[in-house]
Amino acid sequence: MEEFEGSASAKKTKTIYISTVISIALVLLMTGLLGLILVHAKNLSNYVKENIVLNIIVNDGAKEVDIRALQKQLDANPYVLKTQYVSKELAARNLTKEMGEDFVDFLGYNPLLSSIDIYMKAEYANNDSINAFTKQLSKNPLIKEVIYQKSLIDMVNQNIRGIGLVILAFAFILLIIAIALINNTIRLAIYSQRFLIKSMQLVGATKNFIRGPFMTYGILHGFLAGLIAIILLLGILYLAQQQVPEILLLRNWFEFSLVFAGVIGIGILISGLSTYFAVSKFLRLKIYDLYR
Amino acid sequence: MIGDSIIKLRGVDVYQQKHLVLNNVDLQIDKGEFVFLIGQTGSGKSSLLKIIYGDLHIASGDGLVAGFDLKKLAEKDIPYLRRKLGIVFQDFQLLTDRTIEENLIFVMKATGWTDKKLITERIYDVLDKVGLRSKLKKMPHELSGGEQQRIVIARALLNDPEIILADEPTGNLDPDTSEEIVILLKQISQGGTAVLMASHDYHIIRTFPSRIIKCEGGKVHEDATII
Repeated sequence: MEEFEGSASAKKTKTIYISTVISIALVLLMTGLLGLILVHAKNLSNYVKENIVLNIIVNDGAKEVDIRALQKQLDANPYVLKTQYVSKELAARNLTKEMGEDFVDFLGYNPLLSSIDIYMKAEYANNDSINAFTKQLSKNPLIKEVIYQKSLIDMVNQNIRGIGLVILAFAFILLIIAIALINNTIRLAIYSQRFLIKSMQLVGATKNFIRGPFMTYGILHGFLAGLIAIILLLGILYLAQQQVPEILLLRNWFEFSLVFAGVIGIGILISGLSTYFAVSKFLRLKIYDLYR
Repeated sequence: MIGDSIIKLRGVDVYQQKHLVLNNVDLQIDKGEFVFLIGQTGSGKSSLLKIIYGDLHIASGDGLVAGFDLKKLAEKDIPYLRRKLGIVFQDFQLLTDRTIEENLIFVMKATGWTDKKLITERIYDVLDKVGLRSKLKKMPHELSGGEQQRIVIARALLNDPEIILADEPTGNLDPDTSEEIVILLKQISQGGTAVLMASHDYHIIRTFPSRIIKCEGGKVHEDATII
């Protein structure tokens, strides 16, 4: 390996390697950026879905202890993310605050009913699941009715699905572009070393011996480019969070680290495979083909 | 098969892609022989050399080079055939980004040498043969054209080849340096390594009378003469 690395004067080779790593890093940056956008879009969609509220209106005269028991029951339901009990007194206070005048005083009684606000888990925040869920609830004698905005839920889900499809299609196209660009960059870098490859063949080096160092460098370059891309992505994330602090709501370091691992993985995979195919191509070439 | 034959071709047709370059080639080169290969540009000299070092496959006929049957030569066997040959080509120069020593170590590692002591000994040995031991740490660009070609010959000798294939090894050199290179190749052949040297330089060919093979009209003419 050390002689393949060349002596200190191997400036040309080093320049090619540096420009290859930078090119791959920039392509991986775009890929990683899209990955982060996907993660944020997914988290935003979950955030929106998990803020869809189902109001469960409890029959008038139901005891608080029974309502609390019902709330516990609902909390344990797999569809439910969280619940919030709103007593009729709290509901009256809230409405008074909104209206700016004490309607209870005016009417002489509190006409509002106690309710439980249910926030569904994102994966169940669709009309099919909610219908099935409300069917279960309707059997409960404590519950008077369940109120939710069916059309809003449909619209939210439709929009999220539409946006998700567009982003996925965009991600797929970008991945193809990334593969093509990285492959091209590496092929050009290897092309510049075609005479070295042919020289190695002429002295009797086996294909695996010739391929070995190129593969090592290909994988290393993919890894380095991935690291550079991650550093740039972290910088972009930091700047974005400075400019739009609300993004912090969507922050999920586990998913971010998956994106970063994906960036390095894609870098190594595409760089390694491209190197393998490019070197193999030049290994197959006859000497007269080198000049074409 | 004669015991001392390094190259033996019988009825070989040489194709460059689909184009028949040489027809029905019969050629035998024995151990320690020095042979000039002459012919005009495009006459098939390089194609004949390519057949010998396995860059072209033989379509018909039989060929034996350094114990390898060219007709049965598998892709994976080509590196091992080339280790039995020393190749000195105009386009096959030293690697410019490393010293002479690194150039030689590179070839040795590529051909399976691992013992550092043996590698060093062999490098000294071949550099002594070409008289350039003192240039071990030099970069190729620090050497003259003649010295570079001597190093290329030293590189070809590393694996103690049975034959050296030299394609226009004096093509870029002045007459005096050219003669020095041919003298060196002659000395190598006298040591038992056959040399097949393609050349256009009739002055050299006249100065060093040897067996001549000529490529002409799609045929290889053995024991040709020049006027």
